[in-house]
Formats: sequence, structure tokens, C-alpha cells
Amino acid sequence: MKLVFQRYKNPTFFLSLLLVLIFGLCALRSGAVEVNWNHWSKLFAFGHSLLFSEGVTHPLDGETYVLWYLRIPRVLLGVFVGASLGLSGALVQGLFRNPLADPSLLGVTTGAACAAALTIVLISKQSMLFSFEVRVWLLPFVSFMGAFLTCMFLNIGASWLMPGSIAGLLLLGIALNALGVAVIGFCTYLATDEQLRSLSFWTLGSLAGANWTIVPGLGIVLVAVYLWCRTQAQQLNALNLGEATAASLGVLVPRLRWTVSVMVALLAGVSVAFCGVIGFIGLIAPHLARAFVGADMRALLPISMLLGALLMLTADTLARTIVIPAEIPVGIFTALLGGPFLMLLLHTKRHRVE
Amino acid sequence: MRRITPARFPETLAFLMRRRALSRIGAIGALAFSQQIHSTSYPEQRQRIVCIGGALTEIIFEMGAQSCLVGVDSTSTFPKEASLIAQVGYARSLSAEGILALAPTNVIVTEEAGPPGVLRQISAAGVGVEVLDSGHRYEGLIQRIVRLGRLLSFESEAAILIERLNLEWNQLQASSLTHSVIVATPRRVLFLFAHSSSRLMAAGTQTGAHAMIEYAGAINAISEYSGYRPLTPESLVSARPDLLLMTDHGFRALGDLTAVLQLPGVMHTPAGQHQHIIKMDASLLLGFGPRLPLAVKRLKSEFMDAFIS
Amino acid sequence: MLKMHNVMKQLGLRRFGPYLLQIRRAETVAILGPNGVGKSTLLRLLSGAYQPSFGLVCLNDRPLNNWPADTLSQNRAVLNQSQDIVFPLATGLVIGLGRVARAGDAVCNQIVASAAAMLDVSHLLERTVDTLSGGELARVQLARICAQLWDVEDGFILMDEPIAAVDPGLQDLMLETLMRFARIRRHAVVAIVHDINHALRYFSRLILLHTDGQLECVKSGLEAKHALERLYGIRLSCLHDEQGDLIMFPLRRNKSKNSQFF
Repeated sequence: MKLVFQRYKNPTFFLSLLLVLIFGLCALRSGAVEVNWNHWSKLFAFGHSLLFSEGVTHPLDGETYVLWYLRIPRVLLGVFVGASLGLSGALVQGLFRNPLADPSLLGVTTGAACAAALTIVLISKQSMLFSFEVRVWLLPFVSFMGAFLTCMFLNIGASWLMPGSIAGLLLLGIALNALGVAVIGFCTYLATDEQLRSLSFWTLGSLAGANWTIVPGLGIVLVAVYLWCRTQAQQLNALNLGEATAASLGVLVPRLRWTVSVMVALLAGVSVAFCGVIGFIGLIAPHLARAFVGADMRALLPISMLLGALLMLTADTLARTIVIPAEIPVGIFTALLGGPFLMLLLHTKRHRVE
Repeated sequence: MRRITPARFPETLAFLMRRRALSRIGAIGALAFSQQIHSTSYPEQRQRIVCIGGALTEIIFEMGAQSCLVGVDSTSTFPKEASLIAQVGYARSLSAEGILALAPTNVIVTEEAGPPGVLRQISAAGVGVEVLDSGHRYEGLIQRIVRLGRLLSFESEAAILIERLNLEWNQLQASSLTHSVIVATPRRVLFLFAHSSSRLMAAGTQTGAHAMIEYAGAINAISEYSGYRPLTPESLVSARPDLLLMTDHGFRALGDLTAVLQLPGVMHTPAGQHQHIIKMDASLLLGFGPRLPLAVKRLKSEFMDAFIS
Repeated sequence: MLKMHNVMKQLGLRRFGPYLLQIRRAETVAILGPNGVGKSTLLRLLSGAYQPSFGLVCLNDRPLNNWPADTLSQNRAVLNQSQDIVFPLATGLVIGLGRVARAGDAVCNQIVASAAAMLDVSHLLERTVDTLSGGELARVQLARICAQLWDVEDGFILMDEPIAAVDPGLQDLMLETLMRFARIRRHAVVAIVHDINHALRYFSRLILLHTDGQLECVKSGLEAKHALERLYGIRLSCLHDEQGDLIMFPLRRNKSKNSQFF
């Protein structure tokens, strides 16, 4: 008797993982600075001392510094941010049962950027009050709070508007998006020149800020959220049958909606906090994943993560190698990849998506 | 969106120099890291400078130190030779690895450069990062030339440049004394910053445009606020400018003179009625580089032509 | 026992109720009525999908509100009328989702296979639901319901037009299979049907929902003829077919002086 539920660790998962590793290694090899890989023993010895011993005793030379402090954090950040965006995109599409849903559609990323903009403009005037460490973590925390508050508002507002309706939530998200964009515009108006520097970094979206503090933080958040998601995957599958049907099957729909929203806010908020607004990956990765492994959430979530990481790696590697020694904001590449893909999607699925 | 020109010819040059220079950066980097020295001058080794800021690049060219330059940003468009140097892109979104690949000994930036994290990464690599305030004063310009001279070990050339600029500047001050006799009331000038006809901004106080207008002997028609603000037709009319000042780029974005005159509110200002519209190259007008006396002189003469006629 | 005490529901300007009814253990009840009279609303009130504006719905003497959702799903199954499955899941997965509320369900695969075999969809288990025809999808949904209540007894199955999309060849088979399944496990079945004869053949009690909102319960059989005539405003003719089952079919409307069209 054939098993009805296949184990979802099918070949696609391992293939995707392998691809991520390969792309990651290629990304490590590309960059503006020439790293002589014949010196690999020296490079890895440094890495060993960095990870396992307390401090760095011997002086750095150029390529070691670039590899260990710039490139490896950046590639890891690309993997984690791409995975976060892919995962949050899959969650959002499953939650709203809408193939075109995206965390930015809910206004979550805009809420995060909005909170950050307000902080930059209002609080950094008193920057003397905060030590450097506080300032490093203040913005990510604030942007997560912005995303989180947006989600809370979405959930409360949606239950007031149309009980149990998902379309209402989407419309509310669009309205919140508009509001967030207006607030950011107002902050730009108020900002001094110096504050504008920080603000434009946020809106452009870039992985240039990767360092060894940010990367483990994001990695931990990602792993925690993914482990949690795995327990909710079947419930999200049930939600796909319809909200009323899912409720009759014993799924607590409001609670599921709330918790998934929080997880999406966590992923999207932290991504925006560290890298600014990067679009389209949350839309494209789940679609590609669905083409390979179908819509079963138990398979879709990890594959979306891996494909999101792949997309991000590709975009970022292109962004920082095409116009050496300059760099194109990575959001442009994700849009270049994402826009035509979306049009292709609409074209092929036009009889189904209406 | 700033135009990002990929480096073409100099990239091969840079590539050849990169390999040799990498060992050099290794040595200097190690030295800098261990001794916590950020900007050192090694007279026997030539400096490799990445310069972010059009005005700073101009100063370096004026001092004759352009052979030190290995990278410039997208605003470094004058003189023409600057465009032959490797482009590191837009000042606000720099790339740490890109800059480090040029193996610089120092990176000289204006306060505009960012993101701040990238600058931190560059200095953590042992490359000195010098922030030179732009300021909108002639005295600031002189100070920057002094600092640059010291950094690049071109003190004598810097001194010569300063002397020449002081001469030009004093001539300007002298001539303005005579001119102020002719022009009874200072005229009101408004600087228009135009992305497109729907996005018009005016320069208030504490802007480069404000400083230039004052240096040229006129008054900024906008005094109620500082910085750039969107311009409404009512505020344009109530400012009563006698003259509208723009950059070449802004002028072209709007179209031609007729288009500017047709902007809402312009025909109700003295500037529009007498068609006193002046445009000037952006890097000359607002650069506050070594061409500052030249810019002020040209601005003055354009004002005089407009107001006398 | 599923009980409704004076349940009323306000939806916008329309008021439904008050309803008072009882569904006993292992009973088979068909809900009949003209379009738009509130049959689906009644079913949703019974299943707990709608909260009554007034009154209580109790399952085994416990209000539906007091039932935890997962326990409730192990005692009553609901098949809704329209299924909007957006992302195409595999059929086997859909059937297995009937048991999603059970934690640590070791026998799930077996039950899914058995339910699929019972409804004759075993050959469709690997396919995605968007490739199924209307009849196949209806059987898959029914298999999900059966999988949900496979290993319990005295449950309640609530269905809203379960065989609407199925061709006549399969309708009887599906209903027979369902009733056999329910009888073995003593599940009660409450279904909204449009076909009078299906109601008469497979259900022991009929709930008639009139246009004025009145709820009438009759025993299924010849006794229901007048009630049905009043319900639909038609005249029925009764026959017995070759196998001895009762058949009622509507007579043509009379060409009377009341008619304005002919």
C-alpha cells in the first residue's frame, strides 16, 4: 500500500540545498578584491582563530580582512535575508490564500521602514544619549516593533471589519501601505541632510551593512521561525481548503492568522531593519517552489526558503560585481528579476488567477 | 538617480596595479592595524587616494596631485580627466569591497558619504577615512585645501593654490564695494531646484545656494526656512524674486525658457515679468571647490547684466 | 444528540429563526426547502460556523461554544457547498486533512487509503485537486469527511448539497456508500438535498424549511407528500418503482385561468 503522505525531504530539497551551497561558494569567489585562493591555508587558519579563539592576534592582511569581515558576512546575510523573505512570502500566500500576496502587500515592510524613519528623524537628534551599541540595535528593534504593530493592527482591524474575511485584511494592508509611505515621505521632508543619508540607505535596500553582529542575529531569528513554522504547516494546508472548512476541521483560524502574522512581521521586520526594503523575493520564491514541489506547505516552506536564498545570492552577487568598483542597489536587481517573472506568471496562469 | 558609469579604460590599469598593490595594502594595513594609525604620510611611497566629493577632486587636480587618485565618486565630473579615474559610484551608497579593491591608502570623503557602516568597514580594514566638511564658506574651502595638502604631502602646492584663490577672492570683495554703490537695493534671488516640473524645490537659508547668492551680493528671496522645501506657487509669488537661479540640469529638466516662464506663479514675479532667469552648471555653482571665486564672479556679472538692463 | 434551542440569527436585515430542533444519534435527516429560504444558514448554525444571535446549539448537552475546536472536529464533520481550494494540493493530502486536528495520528495513512478505496478514488491519490472533475472532487471531499470520522462513533455529519456536482450515475452510489458508512458507526447524517427522491430513499426524517421561515419536521415517506406539496407549491404524483421504492415527481402546472403566460 503506497504511503499517501510522501516524505517531503525529496530530491528537490537536497538539490536546492546543494545549489545554495554552490551559489554561495561562487559568491564568495566573486567580488572586487582579488582573493588568492592559493593562500587558503592562511585564510582558513584565520577563520579558525576568529571563530574559536577569543581575539585576533596577528595583524590582518587585505585579502583575509575582505574575505572574513566583508565577503563571508555579506554572503551569509544574503542567504539569511533571502531565506527570510522567501519564507515570509510563502507564509503570507498561504495565509491569504492568494498567489499574489507578499509581505509588502500587507504593509508590514512599510510599517517597519516607517518606524525606522521616524526613529532616525526624531531620535537621532539626541544621538549623544545613546552609546554606539544601543544605536546599533535600536533601529532593528524599532523596525521590528513597527512591523509587529502593523500586524497587530491588521488582525484587530480585520476582525472588526469583516469577521473571518481575508479580503478585508488585504484591503486594510493596502491602506496601511499608503499611510506608511506618506509618513516616510513626511520624514524625508523633515530630515536634515545627515538624516537623509541614513534614510536613503533604508529605502534603497542593500546588503552592504553585513557584519558579524547582524548575521548571527538574523540567522537565529530565521531558524527559530522556521522551526515554529514546521509545526503549523499542516494547519496552513487545512486553511487552503477554505476558512470555514478549516474551522470545522478543528483549526483555530483567528489564532493561526494572528501567529502567522507575527512570524511574518518578525521575518520581514528584521530583514528590513538590517538591509532596507528589498522587494519581490517574497513573491517569486514561493511561486518557483510551488512549481517544483507543489503546494503542500510542509515541502513548500523549506523550498521557498532555499529558493529565496538563491535569488538573493544571485541578485547581490550581480549587484556588487557588475560595476566594480561601484555597486548597484540590490533592490534594482530583485525588481529586474521579479518584474518580468510576475508578468510571465500572470500570462501563464491567466485563466486561473482572476 | 545618479548616473553610475562603469570604469572602462582605467579598470585594466587598476587591475594591473591591484595585484602589485595588494601586497602593499597588506603591509600598510598590517602596520596601520597594529599601530592604530589612520592617516600617515609616507613620503617615499606615493599615496593612493579614493576621493568622494566633486569639490575635493577638483582641489586635488588643482594642486597637481591627481596621480595619487585611484578612485572618485559620481559627482567628480570636473575636470574632464576625472572621468578617466575608476568610478566608485554614488556617494551615499558606497561599496566597501569595491573601494578596498583599489588598494587605497586613504579615503577622503565629504560628510555626505555613506552608508556609515561601509565607512566603518573601510577604516577597520586599516585604510584611513578622512571626513572633510563641505561647509558653504570660503574659509571652509581654504581649510579643506590646507588639510588636503597636509594629507597628500603637497603642502607647497596647497599654499600656492591658497594664495591664488585669496587673490581672486580679495579682488571680488573689492569690486563688490564699488558695485554696491551702483545697485541701491540688493535684489532678491530665488534658487530653484528642479527634478521635473512637478517637483520644484526652493533653497532656503543654510544651503549652498543661499551662500552663493549672498556672496554675489544679492538676497535670498526665501528666508523663512532652512534647507530645501517644495515650492508652491503662492510662496513663489510672495517671495517676489527679482531673479530665478537654476542649475543647467534643472533647466533642461523643465525644458526651455518658455517652459520655465509657464510654471505656475512665475509670471507673477518680477523675475518672470522681466524674464530674469539664470542657469549655471551645478558643480560650478554649488561645488564650493577651487572654482568658487570664478563662480561668484560669474554670478555677480550675470546679476549685474540682469539688473542693469 | 445535537439540539437547537430557540436559535435565531440576524444576518444584515434578514432574520432566521427561531429554530427548535433535535437530531438524535444515528438519525438521517434531509433538509429541504426552496432556494434562499435559509437552509445553508440553518446548517451553519448547526455546525457552529455561525454564532447564533440568540439561543443555543448544544452537542451532547454541551453548547458548541464550550467545545474545544479539535475535540469538536472529532465528533462532527462538515461538508460545505462551495469549495474554493486556491493552491492545488494532492488528493491524498486533502483526504488526510480531515484528521488534521489529531495530534500524533499513527493510523492516518491507513485510514486515508481505506476512505479513498471506499469512495473509489484510490487511483486519484497522487493527482492534484485542480485536475479532478466535479464528480471526482465531490467524492474526494466525501472521503475527507469519512476519514475525519472513521474511527469514532455517534458522530454527526453535516452536508450542504454533497452530490450537486455529481452525475446521476454516481449519485446513488455515493449516497449509499455514505449511509452505509454512517450506519456502521452510528453517525447521524444531516444533509441539504434538492432531489426529493434522494431525500425519501436515503433519509428517515425530513426537515422542511418554508418560505415564511417555519420549520416543519415530517417522517420520510408517503406521509410527507402533502407537506412537500405545500413546501414547493407544486403537486406531486406518487409511484412505486420496480424495486418497490417510493418515487414522487412533480406534475405539470395546470393551464388554468390563473396563468398569464399561455
